[in-house]
Amino acid sequence: MEEEIRRVAGIILGAPLTRRTRRELLYSGFGGLAGVAGFCLTLVLLTTGLTVSVSVIGTVIGLLLITVALRVSRRLGSLHRRLLRRLLGHQVEAPPRFQPGSGVLGRLDRRLRDRAAWRGVWYSLIKLPVAAVQLYAIVLTVFGLVDLTYPVDWLLFHNSSRGNLSPLAAVVPAPFGGRLEIYSWPGTFPAAIAGAACVVAAAWLARGISAADHALVRNLLGPSSMAERVSELERTRTLAVEDSAAALRRVERDLHDGAQMRLAALAMNLGMAREKLDDDGRPDNATVRELIDAAHRNAVDALADLRDLARGIHPPVLDSGLASALATLATSSAIPASVIADIDPRPEPAIETIAYFCAAELIANATKHSYANQIKIKIYTERRRVLRLEVSDDGIGGADAARGSGLAGLAQRVSTVDGRIDVVSPAGGPTIVTVELPLRA
Amino acid sequence: MRVVIAEDAALLREGLTRLLEDRGHAICAAVSDGDALLAAVAEHHPDVAVVDIRMPPTHTDEGLRAALQLRQKFPGTGVLMFSQYIETSYSAQLLEGGAAGVGYLLKDRVANVAEFSAALQRVADGGTALDPEVVSQLFRASRQRGGLATLTPRERQVLALMAEGRSNAGIAAELVVSAGAVEKHVASIFTKLGLPPDESDNRRVLAVLRYLGPANA
Repeated sequence: MEEEIRRVAGIILGAPLTRRTRRELLYSGFGGLAGVAGFCLTLVLLTTGLTVSVSVIGTVIGLLLITVALRVSRRLGSLHRRLLRRLLGHQVEAPPRFQPGSGVLGRLDRRLRDRAAWRGVWYSLIKLPVAAVQLYAIVLTVFGLVDLTYPVDWLLFHNSSRGNLSPLAAVVPAPFGGRLEIYSWPGTFPAAIAGAACVVAAAWLARGISAADHALVRNLLGPSSMAERVSELERTRTLAVEDSAAALRRVERDLHDGAQMRLAALAMNLGMAREKLDDDGRPDNATVRELIDAAHRNAVDALADLRDLARGIHPPVLDSGLASALATLATSSAIPASVIADIDPRPEPAIETIAYFCAAELIANATKHSYANQIKIKIYTERRRVLRLEVSDDGIGGADAARGSGLAGLAQRVSTVDGRIDVVSPAGGPTIVTVELPLRA
Repeated sequence: MRVVIAEDAALLREGLTRLLEDRGHAICAAVSDGDALLAAVAEHHPDVAVVDIRMPPTHTDEGLRAALQLRQKFPGTGVLMFSQYIETSYSAQLLEGGAAGVGYLLKDRVANVAEFSAALQRVADGGTALDPEVVSQLFRASRQRGGLATLTPRERQVLALMAEGRSNAGIAAELVVSAGAVEKHVASIFTKLGLPPDESDNRRVLAVLRYLGPANA
């Protein structure tokens, strides 16, 4: 029993000395400051936005401010998550990426209905009292440490023969409260004890508030609830279905306008040639030859069309792995392209296909729009879980996922397997597009 | 024969133009969409128009819609639909207003220049030229409605050729039988399908339409 009490007391009193407490205090400090800043920023932006948008003229500015607040909210969210990860080692996954709509109204609408951002706003508002407690824990620690040093201070600075200096004042923050006036060395002991109490209390306060904050972050800044996940899956499933239907339509259209049309023309040429040969036994050789030439040309073109179409459906080279498929792709690029590949383990075929077509589309984009001299393709697996494709060029930049229908299409296709695409393309370049895919669909 | 061609693929448009000119027909205009077709027909009043079904801007059924308008506005101009696919609903819409001066052929048929040319001539003359594919689809579609069940295989063959727009002599040649035998089959078909003999020549068309055409004209 006594043993037990001693053990518990040891844990309670020893807490301030642990590494964990130091990290929690550090987190309380930075998290508290970030919390207060976030609260102020969010409050100012939102209240101004809402107030301004009440008036007819101000609506535009108001909505603008609100969208800014929502953007900021996402940024703050990632800041808080990062603090939590760096300082406390708690990993909280980011919510699904913002999906920009098309057109001004579409984008505004998506922004205003961005649930992850609104949950972030809630977090920023609720965070204020949490931040107050966090900062209080810091204050408590600082004063506690100062008070703890008093006995030493006294010996160092007040131990003069002249003695009666003004009394040393020790401030003990609430809830221990008040001010101690110290006139003698033994008098510094209560201050030191109060300081120790503050430090211990601050340690446990920091632990409690960190746990509470972690829970808040997980619930408000983490990936959405199951219901949101379901609606996200529904959305991406619709995209997948639409994508495959569109792909089939494209194949049909390509056949109709390509090979089928050429074969019809070929049949027509041959039919006409046969007519000429049947003509009263004196065929017009030149004309027949010309018709057969045309037929031959159409046959060759039809073959080329069919080959392109087949390759567009499934590039045969992909069977021997993504690395060699991308190498082949790079050699056929109009702008010199290099490939660095480090893929292990091998992704699922569906993922390989998506990665391949992403690379093909990105190279085509770069060729069409970037005026680049060099394209670099990097593909590698990360933590044996994620396949990362990076296509960069040294061109003029200015690629925008929200505007370019090609990039938007890629983002859609990638999101059907919970992948994401990230475009960094400042005006003036360079452009770096990163596609992240899970290894299994 | 004066012809207007509406076909969006340049390769086929030029090919058709050449093919028909080679056979001594006059091509009044070769256009690539429905509106241009209507304008060309209004201007030239040709004997027949060869119309692709899928044309710009939507590449769905512009040709068909233009053809239906042609049938209404210019009954004197025959319309030969010319497509890579045979769609029952398209044939149904096309045949709704009667089978005179209507044709619907797969593009493949152009390989046999003589037959294609003959079919076009039939349509220009107010006859019918339906692709065997169209006919077999319509057969399938109308099978549920009965009537055909009572036909012998030979009679069904004859009816199919009638549906393509062939004359008795043409059917006899195709089946390698005497004209008399074909007449006997045709009479039997009329009886079995409940079409009493009358003075009008339309009985053949009626037979085909009433029992093959989804519209039951």
